[in-house]
Amino acid sequence: MNVIETNKLTKSCGTARGIIDVDLVVEEGELYGFIGPNGAGKSTTIRTLLSLIYPTSGSAKIFGKDVVEFGAEIKEDIGYLPSEVFYYDNMKVKDLLNYSASFYKKDCTKRMRELVEIMDLDTHKRIDDLSYGNKKKVGIVQGLLHEPKLIILDEPTGGLDPLMQQKFFNLLKEENSKGVTILLSSHILGEVQRLCDRVAIIKEGRIVNVEKMSDLAKSNYSRFKLESRTPIEKSLFALDGVSGLKMENNSVTFMFKGDINSIIKIVASIDLLTLWVEEPDLEDIFLHYYE
Amino acid sequence: MMNMLIHELRQNQKATIIWTLSLVAGAALYLSIFPAFVTEADTLRKMLEGFPPTFRKAFGVTLESFATVAGFYSMILSYIMLAGSIQAMNLGTSIVSKEERGKTAEFLLTKPVRRSQILTAKLLAAFISLLVTNVVYLVAVPLIINAMAGAIIDIKTFLLLSFTLFFVQLFFLGLGFLVSAWASRIRSVLAVSLTTVFGFYIAGALDSIIGNTAIRYLTPFKYFDFAYIVKNSSYELQFVLIEVIVVILTIITSYYVYVKRDIRST
Repeated sequence: MNVIETNKLTKSCGTARGIIDVDLVVEEGELYGFIGPNGAGKSTTIRTLLSLIYPTSGSAKIFGKDVVEFGAEIKEDIGYLPSEVFYYDNMKVKDLLNYSASFYKKDCTKRMRELVEIMDLDTHKRIDDLSYGNKKKVGIVQGLLHEPKLIILDEPTGGLDPLMQQKFFNLLKEENSKGVTILLSSHILGEVQRLCDRVAIIKEGRIVNVEKMSDLAKSNYSRFKLESRTPIEKSLFALDGVSGLKMENNSVTFMFKGDINSIIKIVASIDLLTLWVEEPDLEDIFLHYYE
Repeated sequence: MMNMLIHELRQNQKATIIWTLSLVAGAALYLSIFPAFVTEADTLRKMLEGFPPTFRKAFGVTLESFATVAGFYSMILSYIMLAGSIQAMNLGTSIVSKEERGKTAEFLLTKPVRRSQILTAKLLAAFISLLVTNVVYLVAVPLIINAMAGAIIDIKTFLLLSFTLFFVQLFFLGLGFLVSAWASRIRSVLAVSLTTVFGFYIAGALDSIIGNTAIRYLTPFKYFDFAYIVKNSSYELQFVLIEVIVVILTIITSYYVYVKRDIRST
């Protein structure tokens, strides 16, 4: 079953760039990444899915139901964590969490306690006394306390220290193993890489590619980095398949796609100090789409 | 929806208490000078006769009745009404827009509730806040009149006069609510509400000065003519109707607009 399905979803936002003909399909149980630079349309897409804003044309379905028509109904099973969290300042954390829980038909007390424990949150504090990172934790707990079937995260990790980030990601993986679908939007590629099965790349309001994470990693690009004892001739690398060549003093980096033997022969002719040949990370692939 | 209603009432609690106390205290302050007013009535009347009639009209002074308790109360009621209108307009203007201004809209609107339910909860909360203010006012002020002014006001006249406070407040609540639902971000609620309320108030004063009845239909401050109410023990039906229509229209439009519009991002 498709949990999220958009059909030529378009939103023009006046002067700001919107999204154009976005077709996005997220299957049940997927950990789906949504990457692109700031302003590419990630938030616009997510805000349309949550019917905070309405599409100019096209449509979107969540759990097979139209997001505009059945917005309130489908939100029963959606957990949302926005990039910036703001809550009613004159409330205590536990008041806010209880308020949040009161919107759902089920009893959320047990799960709320578990999450508060995992996130190490002091519920007796007032929200305006919390640091940015702690506010974020409140956001995580309130987004997950009703055990949603779909979790939507918009740039979720800002403000969380690495340890908390790890805990949070483990939490998400655990939810996912229970069958929960997750849509994670980010411009930080590392976090998408760590979590997601599939990834959609969005650029200037359009989806430019959708790939399996494993396929992306398996692309036959290799990243070379080497240092030599003696200066290197640039012409040495004037070869088909070499891209993104950067030379600095005696060190060279580039991406290579093609017959690995041909490049190894060239590299072998150099008096090497060090050599790295790596699988490209998402960042490199990403750059490739944004050339 | 009950949860949102309680949440809103809690959020309004403080402001409602402060406004209620202020209105009652304001009334008490004015009423405390009533005894002095009565003893000096003749002197004052002579002095006021010296003022141009338009001036007297603008300040709601009626020569025949200002030294009676109903006449005196009518005079101060217009100032209490001005303050009460600011309370109502503030409440209406902030109750929806505060979510976007405080960036909590994304919290509230991603919960499994329809936008119309959100509006209903908010409107109901605002209505209850005003109701509380008015109930306290209606109970407290007759006692104050009795204690401080040493007079007893005819209870029917008092109620007829004082209900107009609630009616005019409802007008501004509706108007503020519409502004709130429409505008995606209001920088300063107070600026909007003060400008609007004083705008209508000045229009009302102009009407008194010019004696032009057309303006009467436009400003709620002129929907209820206190002298008429004291004299006839009733309202002028056509203005009650206008009031009801305006309130209903602003509320319906608020729903229509808010359900359809985009919520601005943070």
